[in-house]
Amino acid sequence: MIVRTGLTGPFPRPEPLVRATRDLDRGRTTPEAVAELLARGEEEVAALERRLGFDSVSGGYLGWPDLFRPFAETWEGFTVGPLTRWLETNTFYRQPILLSPPSRAPGAVAARLPGPVRADPTSGRVILPGPYTFVSALDNRSGETDEALVHRLGRLLADEVRELRGAGFATFFFVDPFLAVRPPEGPRAEAVVAGYRAIHGSLAGANAVVWTYGADAVPAFPLLDRLPVSAVGVDLADTEVERLPPSPQRTGLGLGVVDPRTTLGEDPAEVARVVRTANERRHPTIVWLGPGGPLDLLPWEPATRKVHVLSAVREALGGGGRP
Amino acid sequence: MTARRLFPSQEIGSLAKPRWQLLGQRSEPLDDAAKAELRSEDERTGFASALPAVRNALLDGRTRDADPESVRDLGALFGLRFLEAAGLDRVYDGEARRIEMYEYPIRQMRGFRFQGHVRSFDNKYYLKAAVTDEIRLERPYHLEEFDFVRRHATAEPKLPITGPYTLADWSYNEHYLARQPGWKGRAARRAAQREFVVDLARRAIRPTIQALIEHGCRVIQIDEPAAGTHPDEAALVVEGFNAATEGFDAEFTMHICYSNYRDLLPELLEAKRCRQWAWEFANRDSEAHDGYAVLEALKEYGDTRDVGLGVVDVHRDRVETPELVASRIARASRYLGDPGRIWVNPDCGLRTRSLAVSRAKLEAVVRGAALARAEFENPRR
Repeated sequence: MIVRTGLTGPFPRPEPLVRATRDLDRGRTTPEAVAELLARGEEEVAALERRLGFDSVSGGYLGWPDLFRPFAETWEGFTVGPLTRWLETNTFYRQPILLSPPSRAPGAVAARLPGPVRADPTSGRVILPGPYTFVSALDNRSGETDEALVHRLGRLLADEVRELRGAGFATFFFVDPFLAVRPPEGPRAEAVVAGYRAIHGSLAGANAVVWTYGADAVPAFPLLDRLPVSAVGVDLADTEVERLPPSPQRTGLGLGVVDPRTTLGEDPAEVARVVRTANERRHPTIVWLGPGGPLDLLPWEPATRKVHVLSAVREALGGGGRP
Repeated sequence: MTARRLFPSQEIGSLAKPRWQLLGQRSEPLDDAAKAELRSEDERTGFASALPAVRNALLDGRTRDADPESVRDLGALFGLRFLEAAGLDRVYDGEARRIEMYEYPIRQMRGFRFQGHVRSFDNKYYLKAAVTDEIRLERPYHLEEFDFVRRHATAEPKLPITGPYTLADWSYNEHYLARQPGWKGRAARRAAQREFVVDLARRAIRPTIQALIEHGCRVIQIDEPAAGTHPDEAALVVEGFNAATEGFDAEFTMHICYSNYRDLLPELLEAKRCRQWAWEFANRDSEAHDGYAVLEALKEYGDTRDVGLGVVDVHRDRVETPELVASRIARASRYLGDPGRIWVNPDCGLRTRSLAVSRAKLEAVVRGAALARAEFENPRR
């Protein structure tokens, strides 16, 4: 079994950065001081990822206020809207409001990638919103149907991937929890497939993993299995491994094996057993192990303990270090 | 028993703490702006007349002569008079002594361990704890603050307390989840959360409520802002509420906000001792969308309890006119089919708004209620 480990979303900010950002809001420190701590925090996460043998480095995306803000603030057609609950959590994002058909701002998103990712694209992990979740989370006042918009955002994300691919990036994660939370059907499902086909056309051999969480992914598998990507990830805190359907073709499988909704630590041996069960059901080419959902639902210390579990599970599976 | 007038008004949560209180609690000298704020608010309501020594110590730069607890007393008096001066029928102290609605109650219990800060949004965080052991209440809380309010209030006091479901939802569940056998999937999480909520209700909230009632508390608002986070757990919200309140002789209300209330029905209606639903509506009300239409659901289910109607939005500075408030009350009355069941209040706590905006919004609540009352009692032909 080939096993890869890594983050699938944002990591919590270290406590000194938390204090600095609060102080900034209260006028007690400077943006420059916060930027310095942010860069230091990203390096700290990247060092942790390297130490744990993760296959690619994310830097924790500590500077992204939410998954959509870099797009809502830089792409044409968007404005940043009201605070909105993120799935079934006590965290909130600012809902992007789309006022007209969107267009990219070349280079804008790349400039907002964490420092360690920009510094070494070949080992960097690019984490982007999936097109379906993007559309599900925004307030669409553009006049386009949601189906057309899913496809359009897929094409725009494909352009983003092409640009980043040209800069040397080789691992792309598309965070798309709504595929499990609210599985699309009919024309909307076809738009999702079309969107990911567009992205596939830009990959030029790079890895693309679609990551779901927040609900049982089993009902979505007829669609997930059609997506032309390297792997689809499911959150095993919500999806029973015994119910994973057999895979129609040889592809990768993502497994969210540590749960960011609890500080209770997972037992690596128990997780390894569950991963083996998934392996027997799907026979994946590669198993991508990660947190089930965004680890920034936890504070720094518990999140750090959780990522150590990922490394221990890989060891237990005989996956060794970095492939 | 005297009949209640139509559309009585009430507070619903916390106010922003005035700058003089924040500085005074830290024994820091007041700057000119803080002194001016203290003077002008005292001129407005006379709130500091009961504690002149504390006021004078703060204004004279002798902050060290005003111990933090005395400053909090002054802050509580300020909040109380602020709400009374706006004309509200039911008041509290603006939650002047509380850190916030999660951390404060959790610190009154054993069995929890704070884990660190979690980002709520942007640069806003909250300190989050995990339940790691059996829950034990150190001692009932909110008693001293209630006693203080009761001694000084001229309007009817209503005490807000964070509900068991919200305290559980905003905590990490280690203790109960660890006791679940096997893989900690959704079924295990749900079972563990149920144990957690019910234990919180029985071991911490219930004894606190009992003590509050023994201290003379008659109206208690159970705050459950997390109720809408997991719509399929509405029955658990109710189970926690019932476990905390069953058999007690007091008037209980339940505050929920920023939720799709229809998703919580009809399960929520099983909250047996709840006399009033105090919900946010104004935030979702616009020319394009009638935020009060959801009240029809209560009528559909035949629920006849009172409704605490959110008539001003606490997340925008723009102050609603009394006419808009009155029109919202009129619409809600039509949906409920009974104006006599309506109380009026802000959507939620006003602590994110400046005191000036909060005052203006509360006055709009009271004036709007008066307009609506006049219209109902003397309808224009």
